[in-house]
Amino acid sequence: MKKFLVFLLTAFAVFILAACTANEDAVEEPTEEAPPTDEGTETETEKEAGEKVLHLNNTIEPTSLNPSIGFDAVSWDPLNNLMEGLTRLDQDSVAAAGTAEDWDISKDGLTYTFHLREDAYWSNGDPVVAEDFVYAWKLMLDPATTPPSPAAFLAYFIKGAEAFNNGEGTAEDVAITAVDEKTFEVVLAAPTGFFLDLLTNPAFFPINHKVAEENPSWHAEAASFVANGPFKLESWEHNSEMLFTKNPEYWDADAVKLDKIHFAMVNDDNTQYQMFQSGELDTATIPAELSDQLIDGDNVYIGNAGGLEFYRFNVNEEPFQNKKIRQAFALAANRQDIADFVVKNGVEPAFAFISPGFTSPTGEDFRGVNGELVAYDPEQAKQLLEEGMTEEGYDTLPPIVLSYNTTDTNKAVAETLQNMFSENLDVDVTLENQEWNVFSDAQKNLELQFSRSSFINDYNDPVNFLESFITDSYMNRTGWSNAEYDALIVKGKTETDEEKRWENLYEAEKLLADEMIIMPIRYYNTVVLEADGVSGILRHPVGYFDLKYAEKQ
Amino acid sequence: MLRYILKRLLIMIVTLWIIITVTFVLMISIPGSPFNSEGSSNATVQANLEKHYNLNEPYHIQYLLYLKSIVTLDLGPSIKQPNQTVNDLLGRGFPISFELGIITVAVAIVSGITLGIIAALRHNGIIDYLAMGLAVLGISIPNFILATLLIQKIAVDWELLPVATWSSPAHMILPILALATGPMAIIARLTRSTMLEVLTQDYIKMARAKGLSPWKITIKHALRNALMPVVTIMGTLLASILTGTFVIEKIFAIPGMGKYFVESINQRDYPVIMGTTVFYSAFLIFMLFLVDIAYGILDPRIKVHKRGGE
Repeated sequence: MKKFLVFLLTAFAVFILAACTANEDAVEEPTEEAPPTDEGTETETEKEAGEKVLHLNNTIEPTSLNPSIGFDAVSWDPLNNLMEGLTRLDQDSVAAAGTAEDWDISKDGLTYTFHLREDAYWSNGDPVVAEDFVYAWKLMLDPATTPPSPAAFLAYFIKGAEAFNNGEGTAEDVAITAVDEKTFEVVLAAPTGFFLDLLTNPAFFPINHKVAEENPSWHAEAASFVANGPFKLESWEHNSEMLFTKNPEYWDADAVKLDKIHFAMVNDDNTQYQMFQSGELDTATIPAELSDQLIDGDNVYIGNAGGLEFYRFNVNEEPFQNKKIRQAFALAANRQDIADFVVKNGVEPAFAFISPGFTSPTGEDFRGVNGELVAYDPEQAKQLLEEGMTEEGYDTLPPIVLSYNTTDTNKAVAETLQNMFSENLDVDVTLENQEWNVFSDAQKNLELQFSRSSFINDYNDPVNFLESFITDSYMNRTGWSNAEYDALIVKGKTETDEEKRWENLYEAEKLLADEMIIMPIRYYNTVVLEADGVSGILRHPVGYFDLKYAEKQ
Repeated sequence: MLRYILKRLLIMIVTLWIIITVTFVLMISIPGSPFNSEGSSNATVQANLEKHYNLNEPYHIQYLLYLKSIVTLDLGPSIKQPNQTVNDLLGRGFPISFELGIITVAVAIVSGITLGIIAALRHNGIIDYLAMGLAVLGISIPNFILATLLIQKIAVDWELLPVATWSSPAHMILPILALATGPMAIIARLTRSTMLEVLTQDYIKMARAKGLSPWKITIKHALRNALMPVVTIMGTLLASILTGTFVIEKIFAIPGMGKYFVESINQRDYPVIMGTTVFYSAFLIFMLFLVDIAYGILDPRIKVHKRGGE
């Protein structure tokens, strides 16, 4: 009897389990099948087989697809393919004609007159007009926009922009004008040699003002989204997926090879790699623990990412008020080893501040011209430390705390540095790690003595990074102030002769290295696994990826 | 009964108010700001943002604003997802977490109780050892490890099911398996031990002596009494599973609401912290209330509504 009971119960359990899964199917099928038909498959069903669909991962939901509001890669990577600014980065990562066909620059370098393409249209058929840029840029600068743009400061190069954004000026004072439907004029506060490059940044994308005036949240859903780029937004299931299709209204639609792009939102390193393995994704990043195995593969793309990891010395805290002591710490760190054995993943050690990939007016690489400024030299480090200690009258060095925000990589780098300081300088530093937000607040308030930092360029010019360290800059966070450096940066921003402007930047970087306010560690890079048959994805050192020429065989 | 429910409701509201207040105090006492991004910024831009989200107001004003938003059930836009209100986030995420959770709980209960009963009936037999061995494994293997293992074996190596995302019934099987194993094991062990206890009771012997069928004894007389501890853990289990689980949703890229519990705090997305806390608390309190009612139904000796009345 008992046996029978066991059998019965087991059978019951199996049945329930089966029923559950069967039930799922039954309940889910109609709703789950619905989206694809909703998504307008009228044209797709016929040529399903020959369609080129690229499957990418956007990690998470874009913050916002309102151009100047979503100020991060998860928003601007997709947006860069839905929209186009006046200029667009070309295959060599140089700002080339985009929505503007050409432009005139006044002799004083202040007035830019852009001529928009006659055949530039929005995905709803409206022409792209100068007023669309005026509307979008004023929205970015208006402090009363809901919510205010976190990227507004990028536009401060424009006359009247900063005053409008900080509440001192008005919208009328911002020197941007729609001269006529297809002519757009910008007057700058000072000559800015990299202005055309700055305009490739998604913050400067236009907004179809007719659509936006009628529906201010046009950018929040696929149904109301109007694009002027190579692709348009076909569907968008929030926090889940986005589908782009080729935009037939785009002026250069013939150059676009893909039919569709599907963005998943998978925020787990292992999962996205497993999806790549099973063919559900066409590109993926390499999970940290698989780096050694995968980094040398044929399907790995490695490129510059225009960014620097570094440590900040707080010059208000002993012993880092002393230049020689700062230099000693910088020279005692073996960056090559950190890059090769700690961070790995193909990164380059940073022997200076500006990453490779910035081309000067004479066609040379910034890094090539200025060379290595921070070497690894334990002998000299030791000597500098002694000299510095004598200058300050220290018998023993004040206690040093090295802080970083909690991640596995940061921890590994910090521990390695601790070792190197102990070995090369005989100094024992204490490590301290904090959650990102706590850390970030403390760093801004100059409460940390020696702390980790990072910088990713917003635009393709060395001044973007170097400007951080002028007196009282929001990004300074070291307490350092140097009149000579400030003067070099002013000239490095506004000098009309490009070659002279770059001379100032070379000088500024050398000064920064000599004063050793920050200690470089490594340059960031982009490492992506690409499936067979995927090609043509443009990944610029500075900027957001471009799928206009992407191809999938 | 009505009086009891009213009293419980009142206590629920007071509890919620205390939770909101404590959450607010904790929220403002952790350093940081929602605008501490790793990218560049500027003082003017930061000031504009803080002003927009009322973060420059004194704390008591902010507290009143939050209270108002909760009372009106309009929590406003998320700071980190400015195009979506907190109501949108919860409204989109909760049904998905609920769907995943309810199937998981059903699977866990049915298989857990079945396993527990079989083990108890076959006490110290092979089946008992097998079932309990399985349960111990289920309790000791964390669900994220099980999840990764399932993906690697079933989805990547054998290609039987898709890896992740939440787009078809086939996508649901692995996360449900990963999520249900732990609770199933707990329920199985609980059921087994209480069943063993109940089966030795006099009234079971009596029932046997009367010649009732083993089926009737097990289900009607033993199981009903053995279920009390299972019902006790059900309230918390339901509340935590139905409102989403951070790790499993992250691993399987399920757009539920589990992630907001953790990420809103990391990002200092204050309205979302408030929204998730209030939502979860209200849900949990309600579930515990249901459990109390269920006691009364399962065990006539417990009469919830008579207490304190007279």
